[in-house]
Amino acid sequence: MIESTSELLSVLMFLAAFLVLLTGFPVAFGLMGTAVAFAAIGAAIDGFAWPLMSSAGGRLLDLMTNETLVAVPLFIFMGVILERSKIAEDLLITMGQAFGKLRGGLGISVVIVGAILSASTGIVGATVVTMGLISLPAMTRVGYDPRLSSGIICASGTLAQLIPPSTVLILLGVTLQNANTQANLQMGRFGGSTLSIADLFAAAFLPGLLLVGLYVLWIITTAIFRPKSCPAIESTPEELRDLWWRALVAVLPPIALIILVLGSIVTGTATATESSAVGALGACVLAALRGRFHRGLLVEVARSTFFISTMIFAILIGATIFAMVFRGLGGDHVVERFVTDLPGGLTGALLFVLAVIFFLGFLIDTFEIIFIVIPIFAPILIVLGADPILFGVLVAIVLQTSYLTPPFGFAIFYLQGVAKGLPITTIYRGVLPFVGLQLFAVALVWFFPALATWLPEVLL
Amino acid sequence: MRALLIFSSAVDAVVAMIGKILIRAILVVVALGATVVLMRYVFNYGRPWISESFVWLNGIIFMLGTPYLLQRDGHVRVDVIYGQLSTKVRAAIDLLGVTFILWPSSIALGLVSWPNVQRSISVLETSPTMDGLPFLYVLKACLPLFFALLVLQGASIAARSLVLLLGGEVPPRPWETRE
Repeated sequence: MIESTSELLSVLMFLAAFLVLLTGFPVAFGLMGTAVAFAAIGAAIDGFAWPLMSSAGGRLLDLMTNETLVAVPLFIFMGVILERSKIAEDLLITMGQAFGKLRGGLGISVVIVGAILSASTGIVGATVVTMGLISLPAMTRVGYDPRLSSGIICASGTLAQLIPPSTVLILLGVTLQNANTQANLQMGRFGGSTLSIADLFAAAFLPGLLLVGLYVLWIITTAIFRPKSCPAIESTPEELRDLWWRALVAVLPPIALIILVLGSIVTGTATATESSAVGALGACVLAALRGRFHRGLLVEVARSTFFISTMIFAILIGATIFAMVFRGLGGDHVVERFVTDLPGGLTGALLFVLAVIFFLGFLIDTFEIIFIVIPIFAPILIVLGADPILFGVLVAIVLQTSYLTPPFGFAIFYLQGVAKGLPITTIYRGVLPFVGLQLFAVALVWFFPALATWLPEVLL
Repeated sequence: MRALLIFSSAVDAVVAMIGKILIRAILVVVALGATVVLMRYVFNYGRPWISESFVWLNGIIFMLGTPYLLQRDGHVRVDVIYGQLSTKVRAAIDLLGVTFILWPSSIALGLVSWPNVQRSISVLETSPTMDGLPFLYVLKACLPLFFALLVLQGASIAARSLVLLLGGEVPPRPWETRE
């Protein structure tokens, strides 16, 4: 499988990077440092052309001038504005009151609000934290089983990864675009099939709704068989006054914003970057309409946006250098041989890669997986005949699942961080049924790929 | 040891000043982005240099912002193990990490990308796009600056970690005590 010293080095580099990351040194610099060290070793034993390193500057410059990547801070800005101006909070509270009279209704409204928030923020941490702070106390007060409520919050919070416009899909789209170009070159297909962020957004839309539907069905089933776990709310007349009007006021503006943003992307009217700018502006308008738009808010939001997006871009910088050296050492050939030798052809290869992503998801963050694993595996899968869009959607659902899966799922940690006194074992038991629903959704998309591929074909 | 701490605070102050400017620049990115879209869809007016403006500014922000994030410990760490360790062991990891991982790679990449940057500055290179922004060299100049700031901020962290490991008193940094 390994045919030269430099290819051996590429494998060792991977293991070394893993060890360096485990020490807890920042991921971005751990990747960059390991890569440069192995490039130097490679150059010393004559397996690596050191002058290749001078293209590092060019790669980083490409990141700085990449138009699609600007959508990341802009969408994050939009999400943080909606969160900090308490628009998200209003939505959760009024929807809860509107549907709470039914058994399980509060849980269902949390799922639906989670989906709306996901569509408008796209940041998993933020959604889980917001919902943990607001919905969990509400559900506890009514007497919900804490296992059920923590499962609902974790699951619907992680939808932010899948439901467009999510930062995960944008970054996945950018990496898949590169992989697709590379695969086309490798097959000598010039001007072969292209791939846009809009394709991926459109493709992820139905699977996202499918998951929302599955969650809701699960809550209804629970309400029927274990009615005590999700009782109805008994509202005072005070709370019921003007309820529908208030619900409308809370729900309509964010929905309008989502339709504007998503609509302009998936119909091909605007690029992801353009609609992210519209989204950011629209969120400011919504905050202003509530009278919550002021200078303090802006600086606070700019600060959060800066920290989140720079954190993501730094990993991208490290991973770019890492991937460059990995390829320079011939690591891509090792992966190619390994993947093509797997039993089961394309199916086996796809299952293997999805499994790798699922397990890596326990240890490292979504963005690291996208930036490290996708560039290495995706080109070979596309050459083998995988549909890049379908692959992207499957990766997104699998990543979301691993975010939710005990013992290391990040969503669990976020929830535990804001829900003081909630034992982690309770959350573990609460998310398990939802992990099952996730895997069921992966299977559905696997066996009925039209779930993902139909909408982009119709729309674009 | 006092000298090390003074050096560390001085570097932190410079990097933090850059960071504060960059945070506000995010608002400029949003404003420019919104302007570009409004002009294009409402007034049907678009020019490459305006579109490049917010893309490039975002590039500058995350490049030069990365060292600031290092200072504020805003970068992702795999903390399965790190989270359980004592302050001293963490300081040792940070010191070793800066010395053997951050410094060599930043210096090597900075040196290797320098000739191209120098050429760009000497000819005052402009955007490759027609009617693009006239200062691509500014963007390229961010690369050596990025690596230099990483080396400096790394030195600040290394200095503090060293003092801590030698048993010295390390006062908390200003932003650590503030709420």
